[in-house]
Order: sequence, then C-alpha cells, then structure tokens
Amino acid sequence: MSQAGMTLDGNGEAVPETEAAAMVRGGRANPFLLVPITLFFLLLGLAVLRSPSLMTSYGLGSAVIVATPLILATYALMASVISGRGTVDLSIGPLIGFINVTLIQLYAAEILQNPIAIFAYAIALGALYQFVFALIVIYVRVQPIIVSLSGYLALSGINLVILPRPGGMAPQFMADWGLGTSIFSPVFVILVLATLAWLLFTRTAFYTHLRLMGSDERAAYTSGVPIFIVRIGAHIISGGFAGLAAIAFTALISSGDPSQGTTYTLIAVTALVLGGASLGGGRAGVFGSFLGAVNLYLITYVLATFNFGAVQSFVTNLAYGSILVISLLLTLIIPFIQRHIHNFSPVLYFVVLGVVALGVILHATNDHDPRARRAPAETAVVTMQVLEPIPADQLYVGPLEVARPDARTDELRRDAVPMILSAILLVVIAVFLRLAVSRSNRRTVAPAVAVVVASLVLLAAYLVREQADDGAGTPPQAPAGNTERVQ
Amino acid sequence: MTVSANPPSLGLPATIIGLVAGVILTAIGVVYGFIQGLSVQIIILSAIATLGAFVWAWRFVLGQFMNQDAEPLGEGQISEGRRVWLQFRPAIYGLLVLLALFIILSLTIDGFFNVWNVVSFLIILTIIVLTRTLGRHFQENRSAFIGIMVLCGLFSIGSMNIEGFASANNIKSMLLFASFLGIASVGQTLVALLGGLDLSIPFIIGAANVGLLYLIGLGVPPWLAAIIVLAIGTLLGVINGLLSYRLQGQALIVTLGTGFAISGGVQIITSIGSAYSGNVFGQVPPWLSNLAAMNGSTFGLPFPPVIAIWGLVLIVLIAGMRLTVYGRYLYALGVNRTSAKRVMISELGYWVTMYAISGFFAALTGGLLLGWSGGGFIGVGDQYLFLTLAAVVVGGTSLLGGQGGYGFTVIGVLVLQVLSSFLIGIGLDFEWQQFIFGLLILPMVALYARSPHIRTQI
Repeated sequence: MSQAGMTLDGNGEAVPETEAAAMVRGGRANPFLLVPITLFFLLLGLAVLRSPSLMTSYGLGSAVIVATPLILATYALMASVISGRGTVDLSIGPLIGFINVTLIQLYAAEILQNPIAIFAYAIALGALYQFVFALIVIYVRVQPIIVSLSGYLALSGINLVILPRPGGMAPQFMADWGLGTSIFSPVFVILVLATLAWLLFTRTAFYTHLRLMGSDERAAYTSGVPIFIVRIGAHIISGGFAGLAAIAFTALISSGDPSQGTTYTLIAVTALVLGGASLGGGRAGVFGSFLGAVNLYLITYVLATFNFGAVQSFVTNLAYGSILVISLLLTLIIPFIQRHIHNFSPVLYFVVLGVVALGVILHATNDHDPRARRAPAETAVVTMQVLEPIPADQLYVGPLEVARPDARTDELRRDAVPMILSAILLVVIAVFLRLAVSRSNRRTVAPAVAVVVASLVLLAAYLVREQADDGAGTPPQAPAGNTERVQ
Repeated sequence: MTVSANPPSLGLPATIIGLVAGVILTAIGVVYGFIQGLSVQIIILSAIATLGAFVWAWRFVLGQFMNQDAEPLGEGQISEGRRVWLQFRPAIYGLLVLLALFIILSLTIDGFFNVWNVVSFLIILTIIVLTRTLGRHFQENRSAFIGIMVLCGLFSIGSMNIEGFASANNIKSMLLFASFLGIASVGQTLVALLGGLDLSIPFIIGAANVGLLYLIGLGVPPWLAAIIVLAIGTLLGVINGLLSYRLQGQALIVTLGTGFAISGGVQIITSIGSAYSGNVFGQVPPWLSNLAAMNGSTFGLPFPPVIAIWGLVLIVLIAGMRLTVYGRYLYALGVNRTSAKRVMISELGYWVTMYAISGFFAALTGGLLLGWSGGGFIGVGDQYLFLTLAAVVVGGTSLLGGQGGYGFTVIGVLVLQVLSSFLIGIGLDFEWQQFIFGLLILPMVALYARSPHIRTQI
C-alpha cells in the first residue's frame, strides 16, 4: 500500500487508491518525533508545576538565553551528522570554545569592534574549520570520528593556550544580551533566524542530495550526486551554526571561557539523539533537534527546582544518563506502535499534547492565586523564588507542588497570562488551519478528535479558573483534583 | 621474473635517494666525530664504512622489495627526470614542507638550531621515508610496523634531547602510566573489534575509584571490597552490552548515557550521610598501594606489580585472540556478522562478553589508580575518555570492527606514553601536549588507516 503510494505519488489525486495511499504515507511522517514530543510536554508540565515563574516574561527570557547556545550547537551537529559515515563531530564543543576565546582576545586587542565584523568572524571561522574537516575526510579518507577526535584534543588544548583561565569582556553591544529580561532578546532573534534558515535549506535540492548521501553514499554516488561538494556544503553549514552558537554562548557568559565550551560536545550529542536523529546519518530534523535541546534544558531546570543541595550535579548527571538511555530504548518500540496506529501524525500529537500542557500551565499559573491572596503575611516573607530543600524522606512521596509565588511574581503572571493565551491561541489556530487544508480531502477523523479534545481541555481549564475565582475561601482540593485529571 | 641470484637493479630515483641519504648520514658522522675530537684517520675510516654499509643495506633491502616495481618501467616515452618527478611528487612536496618548517623554527626560536635538533630532524625524515617505502610491503601488520618505527624514533630523539629520558626510573614511570592506560584500553580494543565503542570506561574508572574507597571506609575488608567493585564493574559492562546490542549503531551514545548515570549514581550513594559531597576519605591498604605505586616491588624485584599484571594480560589476550577458536570467532563477527551468524556464532553472547570484559578492566583500572593516588576522586578517569580511543586508533585497530588486536593497541599506548613523556621533558604544558596529541593522531592514522575511494567501493 505504501509502496504504491510512493510510486503513484506524482500522478495527482485523480485515482482514489493513490489518495488513500498518500494518506497512509502522510500519516507516517517521522514517528521518531514521538519520544521527544512526549518528553517535552511531560517536562514542561512538571517544570511549570514545580516553578510557575518559568511562564513569565523573565523566566522565558532567561530560558531562551540559556538554551540557545545548546540548541544552535545541536543544529551544528545535526548538519554534519546527516551527511553520514558516522560523522559525529566531537569537536563541536571545543570549536565553540575556540571561537569564543579568540573573539574575546581579538576584541580585547581592539581588532574586532564592529558587530557585523564579529558575526562575520565567528561564522567564517566555524565554516573554515569545518571546511578543512570536510577536506580531510574527503581527500585523506580517514574516518570522520578520528578527525573529530583529533580536532577535539587539538582545539581544547589550544583554547587553554589562548586564554588560560576564564575572563575577559564580551563586546560592548553584547553586554545586556545575557540579562534575559525579555523574551524578544537579540539571542532569540538569532535562534529564530537560524531555525528559519534551516527550514528554508530543507526546501532545496541540495538538502535532498544530502539526505540521500547520508543514508546511502554509494547510491548517491552512482546516481550522480556530487558527493564531495555536498559533503563540503554540509560541513560549512555546520560551521556557520557553530559560529552562531559561539556568539550566543559569549552573550550568555559575557566573557571568555576556555573549558566551558567543551562540555557542549556531550550535551549536544545527547540532545541530538534525544531529538530522534540517527547518528548513522540521513535522518535528523530541526524540529526534533530543537525539542531535544529544549528537553535537556528542561531536565536541568526541573532538577534545579528540587534543590538537592551539594549532590545537585550528580543528580543531573544521573538523570541525563538515564533519560538518554530510556529514550533510546523507547525508539525501539516505535515500529510496534507504527504497526498498530496507522494514522499517527506528529503535528497532531504535538497539538493535542500542547493543549493538555496549556491546561497544566493555566492551572499552575492561576490556581494558586486564592491561596496566595489568603495568606499575604506568609508570602511577604518569601521574597525570593528559591525553595527550601526537601527532606530526603519526602523526596519521593512528597507533594508535587511546593511553589509559593510571591506578590511580584503574581503580578507578573497576571500580566503575562493574556499574552501567553493569545500567543498559544494564534499557534493553535494556525496549526488547525494547516491541518484543515492538508486533510480536507482525506477521510479521517483525526482533526475532529483533536478539536474535541482541545475544546474539552480548554473548557476544563476555564471551569477550574472560574471556580478558583468565585470561591476565594474554598479548600484547595479542586486544583489538586484537576492536576490528576489533566495529567 | 629476474633470477634472484644476482642483486636486482634499482631504479635511478631510488639509487639517488639512497646515495644522498648515505652521504648525509656520513656527513653527520664526520661532523660529530670532529666535535668529539677524534683523530682524523678514525673519522675517515668510519665515514667510508658508514657510507659503504648504508649503500649496501639500501641496495639489498630496497632491492628485495622494488624488484617488481622497477620492471615495467623499463622503456617509457617520458624522460627519466619527469618520471621521477611524477612518481615522487607528493613525497617531495612533503619533504619541502618539513624543511621549510624546520628553517622557520630555526630562524624564529633562539638556540633551536643545534646538532641534536638537526639529528632529530633527520631521524624524523628517515622514519617517514622508511615508512613510505617499506611500509607498503607490509600488507598485514603495516600499522604495527609504522607504530614501532615511530616508537623507536621518538625514543631515540627523546633520549638524545632530554637529560635522563632513557634512565631506568623514567622508563619505569613511563611503563607504569602505560600500564594504566593499557589496562583501560583492553575493553575499548575488544569492543572496537566488534564494531562498537565503549565511552563508559572513564566513568566506570572514576566510579570504581570512589566506590572502592567508600566500601573500605565502611569497614568492608579490602579484598572483599575489591571483589565487589570488580563484580559491579562487570555487571555494568553486561548492561552496556545488552543495551548496545539492542540499539545497534548507537553504542557511542548508549555507553555515554550509562556512563553519566553510573558516575552520578555512585556519587549520590557515596555522598549520602557524608558532609563532603563527592569526596571520599579513607585508608588505602598497603598491598593496594604497593600494587600500583612507583616504589612498589614484585616478589622483591624493584618494579610495581601493575606492570607485571599488564604483561600477563597482554600475553593472555594476544595468545587467546590468535590461537583459540573463541578469539578467532571474535574477528569473524567483526568482519561480517551475517556470515558469522550463519556459522552459529552467538552475536549477543559476544557483545555481552566483550562489554563485560570492558567493564571489568575499567573497574580494575579504577582500583589500581586508587592504589597509585591514595585518594578517591571521581574525575580520575576523565582523561581516559579520549585516550583509550586514541590508543586504539593509533595502534591500528579499525573502529569498524574485525581488524587489529590488543598487540596493536599496546603499541599505540606506548607511542602515546613516550610522546607524552617527551613533551613533558621538553617543558611543554598540559594544554600544548593535548594540542600536539590532537595534531599528531591524524597523520599517524592517515599513514595506514585510509579507507578506499568511493569509486572502488561500488
């Protein structure tokens, strides 16, 4: 069936059989996104419940600042991983560090001052390094992993020579980028532009060649794809993203750091795999990589709210490792899921889960209001958003929600709610429109199911909010009940 | 074709290169002799002897190999000089680049241009020329040949340039560190032969290091604690093997994930009820210290037992992999797993066993490092993350599986260790060492592990 759909795809929609086949095929688009999407909403819900201040302008702003270097590093890795031959560029982290320290030193020497020159320098340096990388892989014909290992050692060594210890000043115009007071910071603009650039890139024939080469290099070569040029191109794109990641990293730490950048290698590889990419080549997507990187950020965020004290970093390591292995194991059951659910669509799944998460967010940001209003004396004492550490015996059985927002956060939250709501509404409408257009001629009930589920959840959230507003003195059983239902 | 009774004729280029090399060598000998203040007769005699011996050796050795190459080039339309140029173009470019580098270094760095550096430079040139000319005739063990050449060259350069480089103490310390790296690379080699990777080794080393001291601190008898740690290491290896087997092709990231989890988990366990998070204190038993300390003794002989352990492991592994059926099946599986399956070789069994061995030796390294340092530290294995991989690839074991062996890795380990000692000896910091390591791995691997062109793979 699906084979027929493939071959008859170009014939248009005249034959009903083709149409049905196309439907099956369309529904199967990239089931590997299943894991990252589920994990994303799980973590998002947990993060918001644990610390509702994430959903404020300030919280989102700092989230963007912290997560952007990681996301861009993952993009950089993605571009070269797609090209196949097991090109897992281990040197991506040291490369980011290298661009960072040279940038700081050149700025201190007053050679690079102009913002445009700095951007051009970072991107050009990354592209140049990756260009040399590609030339070595093509002409010296050594396995890419060895080239990247060599680059890792060489660059992390030379970084320490250029800047022996963390220090220096970021360029003046970058100084306030790292504050993260608003969502729409320049770093956010970089992120959006980079994502859009990749999406545009996927429309080109070059990208098709790249994926063909990644999944089967010999087939690509015999069918006339200029594989050398394609490989060089993939690496140059990767280098460009690495340059952007280095700029975002510099903006984040506002200084130079020779060894911090190196840690991005392992995190970016983890994020890439978490996003459903295949390290063997040929399969990776910007959506998955984005989600993978954001998931890693959210894991760190959620764990930070638990306040494990001195063992915090160990717990983070443990969680990184186990979630990575578990999500890899989950990709094993995807074929079984695929066999039973024929019409799985990642977009639809995303929308449904997104609406559920929206309910959780609404609940977390609004349902605490009565309690906060009822006990003003208590909240006045708590001026910081830092929570007390949980006793070890309560860690596993204790209540999920321990957040006690203060008055200022409440205010911020009240300001933010209409904005978030309208933004999410716009996104939902856009997605539904797209679904409606693309599925108008297919006999499927999936959009209807999505609409019903979405409206039910929205209604529930609305009701809960009404109830909370009406009964200021009602006991807080209602929110707890709602949590169970929503989850 | 030619009757082997009379020495085969060399081509013109080979003769010229041989003569030039011989003359240079003789000139060095003459200069060196005058510096030492020997009498003129001795110098002249030895110069003639050197030249004669070298030219004869050149003719004899190269003649054996170049016989077949020289035949078909008998009558060519192109002139001799042009043919030489075409044949040796890349080599001549490389030599010119090296020469330019040497001249630049001599001009920029004060005191760089002295006899020892010139001799070192010539040794490097000789190694390169020899590996290019002779190396192509060793189809089977080319990487071992190149590795041994590099090892000899590095060692002779080191002992000429650095005071005390060839002293017994320095060799002992080099062997000590080499045995840590060597024991840690056992697992990486075996797993690489299957076509996998094990990046959890450094984390298991760190976890075993901390965990062993923690158990001893709890009052468990040291021998029991060591057995427990080794058993847990093996168990973790089994888990790694099962996961990597299920998730084919993702071994790199799976083992990285389990490694993160292991190191985090062990640190959480050891820091429960302890005021110093992550740091473990305790008394290392004397036998463990003796096992790995610089001044340890083996049955009264003045070297640490860890070197003997490494030697034993080396012999058992090489013999086992070359002579037993089990060892040969390992290669069979690495080369072609489909056909290996057809002859009833259990793929799962091999993956689990090899990863288990890897976990065992990583835990062993962690325990030995505890004896060496005397204190538990989770990050003790961090440098082994890439060093074990580097030792495996420099030695010549293919990461795609089926080629290589532990003997090759031992050569890789020794090369890395001698290089590292050499760099420390000439006063370079850690970061410069790392930089040079990185830059050297690539050409070393490029000398023998180049994959064929895509044209030839179809």
